[in-house]
Amino acid sequence: MKTLAMLLMVGLCLGRVRAANAVVTGAIFGPGSESFPIAVVPLKNVGGDADGSLGTRFARVLSRDLDLSGYFRLLDPKTFIEDPQTSGTTAADIDFVGWATLGAQALVKGTINAAGDTVTVEVRLFDVPGRHDVPAASRRFTGSRADLGRMANKTADGILEFLTGERGPFDSAIAFVSTRGGRLKEVYRFTFDMDDPVKLSDERSLVVTPRWRNDNRAVLFTSYREHIPRLFQLDLATRQVTRLVGGPGQVLDGAWSPDGSKLLVTRDEGGNSDIYLLDSGGQMIRRLTDHWAIDVSPVWAPDGQRLAFCSARTGSPQIYIMNIDGSGLTRVSHTGSYNTSPAWSPKGDRLAYATRASGGFQIVVGGVDGSGEQTITSMGSNENPSWAPDGRYLVFSSTRAGQHHLFLSDREGKSQKQLTRGSADDTSPAWSRRLE
Amino acid sequence: MWRVALALVLIAPLAGACKKKSMRPGEGGAGAAGLGEEGLGGSSLERSKRGLGPEEGGILGDVHFAYDSYELDGSARDVLARNVDWLRQNSRAKVELEGHCDSRGTIEYNLALGAKRAKSVKDYLSSQGIAGERVSTISYGKELPLCQEESEPCWARNRRVHSVVLGQ
Repeated sequence: MKTLAMLLMVGLCLGRVRAANAVVTGAIFGPGSESFPIAVVPLKNVGGDADGSLGTRFARVLSRDLDLSGYFRLLDPKTFIEDPQTSGTTAADIDFVGWATLGAQALVKGTINAAGDTVTVEVRLFDVPGRHDVPAASRRFTGSRADLGRMANKTADGILEFLTGERGPFDSAIAFVSTRGGRLKEVYRFTFDMDDPVKLSDERSLVVTPRWRNDNRAVLFTSYREHIPRLFQLDLATRQVTRLVGGPGQVLDGAWSPDGSKLLVTRDEGGNSDIYLLDSGGQMIRRLTDHWAIDVSPVWAPDGQRLAFCSARTGSPQIYIMNIDGSGLTRVSHTGSYNTSPAWSPKGDRLAYATRASGGFQIVVGGVDGSGEQTITSMGSNENPSWAPDGRYLVFSSTRAGQHHLFLSDREGKSQKQLTRGSADDTSPAWSRRLE
Repeated sequence: MWRVALALVLIAPLAGACKKKSMRPGEGGAGAAGLGEEGLGGSSLERSKRGLGPEEGGILGDVHFAYDSYELDGSARDVLARNVDWLRQNSRAKVELEGHCDSRGTIEYNLALGAKRAKSVKDYLSSQGIAGERVSTISYGKELPLCQEESEPCWARNRRVHSVVLGQ
């Protein structure tokens, strides 16, 4: 019988194998194998949560995170034998034999204490076959009621870190564009602890291509609020919207540098789009492309020294990389007649992009030099990939369930899960960095 | 029931009459929904804000394009020849050229492609003596399609430059 300690070793071994040779990833224990049965029990009330609603909500968010990770099979709470409110939450008091009979390899139990707006959560991961708790994946949180969901997300991230050697990505946010508020598109924020995305922008116009500022405190986007498309920034604390780039022409998209000191933008003047490097005040530092063909969709490498973008200079849209001083132009994509929307992984080692295939788009993931490319989607049309802060997962829009919805996938496409639902179109996701 | 039919009968000759006497865009405006009346003209975005779909054609004809192309073919030039005639006759009219794309491109790329389509038309008008200051351009990419079906007839309708007359 596998124990958590053994799995930890497998996880760590995989980590090493991954670094040396990407072929073996996930074969034994990875997203998509869903090999690992885990039970998540609602938190036990030790004060202030008499109806159990907070403890149940915590368990629901944590369960969803673990399910989305693709590593786990969540056991059905209806089969649980222990009453969450009367049974113990420490190793000495847990019926490990009973949990093993249900098929659980791991178990999450804990307590919640709510006093006024302050909530204290103690949550432990238990190794069921080993009959002990796992301190490295156990946590104590104190915060406001509004932080409860984030406590669950952080718990999931810690469990993933213990089991896989890589911290999970769930304490983060995804900005995207949606028609869910009406006929016009606005920017929304998805977080893993909320049932419904929160509306961020109030442009009452056309909005495209949201991206996070490096500190997660502002979202920039292209808006038609001044008739022609231009780049704006929404400060999430003050709700103020400011125009980032002046001057002539349309600004089609933009991205803050990893250190927040510079911008990459696509400016279209007189029907020719080119990529420019600007300072944080929107003043030009350097024109990076000067070609009659379309150049668009610039994204930063995480080191801030290179960019990836899409150019049609050879007659069809393809992915290129370039140094931020304008040197070293290199074509990355070589297969397919239409490759766009690059996204550079946070670890710097991979690019994802959308490739046109059989009438729709599919997501490709490969090395920055174009090596080892793999198409990770096949159902519906899939666009606008964006990397999770851990570099293990991606989010993109997909039509596989009808309308455009956001889907999450691990970078090999083994585990793909639907994030947003409903009759509206959800597009252009941008995953934030980890929250602080 | 027959009221709806009556409204439909009424709107057709009315719309035709408007076209003939070069109606001021936006004049049909406020749009009493019960009557099936529809405003003519206005930018595709303004129309979308008012809950109307983008307009197909209008005073000036739409120019269509091949997939991922911004080249003007023979039928595009035929439409543009008629548009040039109208612009010469209405020499005070200004026009905004809206570049649109079908759904088979990504969002940002299509914004750039729509801009190129509008530029192609502007260059053609310029070559026919229509002054540049009378002509502005904007790209809506694939954001404001005429139709939503995933089929060639619908894609073809959406690959267009739509001309909005701004004032005469």
